[in-house]
Amino acid sequence: MEKEKLEGMLIDYIDNRLNSVDRHQVEQELVRNPEAYKLYEELKEVMHLMDRSARLEPSIKLKNNFEALLAEELKSEKKTKTVFFQPTLFKVAAAVALLVICGSIGLYIKQQHQLIADRDRELKELQLQTQKMFAMMGNDQSASQRIQGVNVSLSFAKADDAIVDALVKTMNEDPNSNVRMAALEALSRFINEKKVRDEIVNSLPKQKDPIVQIQLIQLLVKIKEKGVVDELQKIVDDDETMHAVKDEAYSAIMKLS
Amino acid sequence: MTDETIMEAVKRGELQQATLLFERYNKRIFNFLARMTMDRELAEDLTQNVFLRIIKYRNSYREGNKFQSWIYQVARNVFSDHYQAHKNKFSNFVDVEKISDHMADRAEYEEQDEKEKILQRSLARLSEEQRELLVLTRFQQMKYEEVAQIMDTTVANIKVKVHRAIIKLRELYFEMEKI
Repeated sequence: MEKEKLEGMLIDYIDNRLNSVDRHQVEQELVRNPEAYKLYEELKEVMHLMDRSARLEPSIKLKNNFEALLAEELKSEKKTKTVFFQPTLFKVAAAVALLVICGSIGLYIKQQHQLIADRDRELKELQLQTQKMFAMMGNDQSASQRIQGVNVSLSFAKADDAIVDALVKTMNEDPNSNVRMAALEALSRFINEKKVRDEIVNSLPKQKDPIVQIQLIQLLVKIKEKGVVDELQKIVDDDETMHAVKDEAYSAIMKLS
Repeated sequence: MTDETIMEAVKRGELQQATLLFERYNKRIFNFLARMTMDRELAEDLTQNVFLRIIKYRNSYREGNKFQSWIYQVARNVFSDHYQAHKNKFSNFVDVEKISDHMADRAEYEEQDEKEKILQRSLARLSEEQRELLVLTRFQQMKYEEVAQIMDTTVANIKVKVHRAIIKLRELYFEMEKI
């Protein structure tokens, strides 16, 4: 019999794991083969030694240490549970609180995003309107286009320096009186701003268009701009000034003095 | 109550029930680790570590699994972690000639016969895997099926390996007996 097969069968024979046919075969081999019998004796000795080997006893220290370990674990477990997870009411309250906090944060973030989006949209709209205004006001060929450009500014809640400067320039220099009138009207909406106020006051001596002059004087009276009295007096004294403008200027001096 | 029922209770938080598992398994696990390490004191420390892991990582026990297989897997991991942590394999630092001193207490040592001492020394010269297979199947008298489950392999594979380990042990044992 092949050695490796014999060894395996001998081990199973000692362990009583063989069927009757194999057992018979092994026993026959043991009778006729002294080497096999020697191997059998040696395997049996080693295997029985292991099987009979005394069970080792741990010291009492093992049990004591385990009990200490378990006590420690129970203590820390109890502590954790009391503080955070027990009783069930706390769990529910914690879950609800978490839900409310998460919900509030979510809502806040959403609102913030909405606000930012709204602001961005408004800014973009303003930029578009401003570009549109400048483009139309720059149209030398069409006064009506320039008026429409000026009118775009009427939709602005506030005017930045660039818009004010463009309207002042139009008010003072546009060749068409209707356009200049429209610019004055647009500027009057922002009269509470110091820059606009100063520009309107400075514009008085520059204006030669009677219609614009009259409207300007009326506006200055309306805002009670007393600093323009001397300038109004010059208009009154100027021989070239139209009669209607002189009357308006005189009337304004009376009201502002 | 089965081991599995008790472990499920431990998993649910009834930690006190772990005492029952300790009573049922501490000697077997200690014996396994003592035969593996050839050092009783170290085996006690490692056994303690096995039960600590059972409690700490109780949630990793899958309900329905055999508890015996699980605790032996934990014990094997504890053993392997210990030697990896010390960056040393058993055979590299255990003095085979002094194994009996580590293995037996004084009273036992006196009684231990010569054959038993040779057996211990022969076991120490086996590979870690072969020693483990013999500890489980002979000293702990586990069935091949149970060992296959612990080692996550087939019964046929275990049987072949156990046979080889016995043959090797016989060879070492009778070599040492002649000395």
